Amino acid sequence: MRRRQSQEGQQTTPDASAAGSSWTYGKRGYALAHSIRQFRRHKVASTLTLLVLGLTLALPVMLLFASSSLQQLSARSLEGESLTAYLNLEVNDLQGAELAQSWLGKPGVRRTTYITRNEALSLFRDNSDIGAAVDTLGSNPFPGAIVVYPDSNTLESLRIEALAEDLRTLETVARVQLDLRWVKRLQAIVSLIQLVGGLLAGFLTLTALLVIGNTIRLELLRRRSEMEVASLLGANSSFLNRPILYTGALYGFLGGVIACIIALLALNAIQQPADDLSSLYDSSFQLTMPSTLQIFTVLAISTLLGLVGALSSLYRPSQRLTHRRENQG
Amino acid sequence: MISFERVSLEYQAGRFALKDVSFALDSGSFTFLTGHSGAGKSSLLRLIARLESPTSGNIQIGNIDYSRLRPRQEPALRQQMGVVFQDNQLLNDRSVFDNVALPLIIGGYKFANIPTRVTAALKKVGLAGKAFDAPQSLSGGEQQRVGIARAVVARPKLLLADEPTGNLDADISAEIMQLLMQFNASGVTVLLATHDEGLLNTFRYPRLMLNQGQISQ
Repeated sequence: MRRRQSQEGQQTTPDASAAGSSWTYGKRGYALAHSIRQFRRHKVASTLTLLVLGLTLALPVMLLFASSSLQQLSARSLEGESLTAYLNLEVNDLQGAELAQSWLGKPGVRRTTYITRNEALSLFRDNSDIGAAVDTLGSNPFPGAIVVYPDSNTLESLRIEALAEDLRTLETVARVQLDLRWVKRLQAIVSLIQLVGGLLAGFLTLTALLVIGNTIRLELLRRRSEMEVASLLGANSSFLNRPILYTGALYGFLGGVIACIIALLALNAIQQPADDLSSLYDSSFQLTMPSTLQIFTVLAISTLLGLVGALSSLYRPSQRLTHRRENQG
Repeated sequence: MISFERVSLEYQAGRFALKDVSFALDSGSFTFLTGHSGAGKSSLLRLIARLESPTSGNIQIGNIDYSRLRPRQEPALRQQMGVVFQDNQLLNDRSVFDNVALPLIIGGYKFANIPTRVTAALKKVGLAGKAFDAPQSLSGGEQQRVGIARAVVARPKLLLADEPTGNLDADISAEIMQLLMQFNASGVTVLLATHDEGLLNTFRYPRLMLNQGQISQ
């Protein structure tokens, strides 16, 4: 409230222009102004609480931000995966090419490539240290091969294995080669990281909830006399509880903002090393920065968390306040 | 205006704050509620303000029968009353203006009406020039006058005062009484709990005397 002093030392008279912002005299505005006032009055305590909340929420937020990158890593590792079906030696190149064409119609197959016997021989010669040894055999020992690329719906190890099994039953196919072990390992590691991260995020979120609940409990103790006065003046439970709920929501929101800042700084710091590591494995994996929607989601969840923390602290005290029985007078 | 019919308030088995209390006060009356400390004065005021529910008996304020009052209707009932406390219970973290404006905010008054009403209430208690002061910077008598301004700003029909002069010297007590009498003259029913003999002897108003939770005269 601003002080309006008249000139020449006369008495001051409050009027609409001298009153504070009009929105603070509405029920909701009063509650919000009160919550902000509490933050201002207890700057050190509020800042420390917000830092604790921010740090507590930072890891779950980082995991949320990184989860899409981890899912991409898991999916992309299978994206380039293919099956190689080695044909019987009796199958000539024309038949092989026709087979490759006909397999395109099979469920779960995105693309097929036929490698002729001569192409296979050339590849071996070019890429093997013992390529010249083949010449001593006198004839081409390599069969024709069809490389089968599964479609996006089949990019799961179990489905790829089912496709391989299906191809193995064909008479023209001598052998199907599929090595998913490293992919399975990677997927297992990613799943474990997501599970442990999820559990940790759950615990830390619960911790944040308790921190907010405890802070609100202290706030209730501080406000007890004010709530009693307001109750005597005819305030209903909504009026009494609203500032507390707003305070909880503010703690949640500001804690979420701090958590987002910490998470973004941390992701920024590890982005380059992650990219370097990825390039060493010829992987297309990239640690991506969160989208605006993800950031808004975090802020909405953290605000909701603050509200829930405040609600959990509110229910009983407000009831005690309006229905207490004390022997007075 | 106020009617108590065989009202009892029992805190624990056999321990009565009030027992079989019956009386009726007219609208626009000024009544002293007297009795020694612990006689049940505050309990009676708390029953009227519906901060307590009677163990038995019936209370009626105006045309409101308390036995039919639902909990969610209680805040609206309290908004029709003004309450003055012995320790004034002002909120020290905000100005005199904001303290007096609180009942209007609670009552959902439009902002356009708030400064006018607060100004009028502060003028009545002689504190218009201290609207933006902190309550702690005021004297005890001034603080009590702010408490009265807060109690009357929403123009209640009933004013309950619980030992409003308990912490004040005789001169200031007389000033506070004059204020309460002014509001009574404008039609407000006043029920003032006090055990200040000086006040009781100076101002000759009807008395309700409580003794160990019962009306003694």
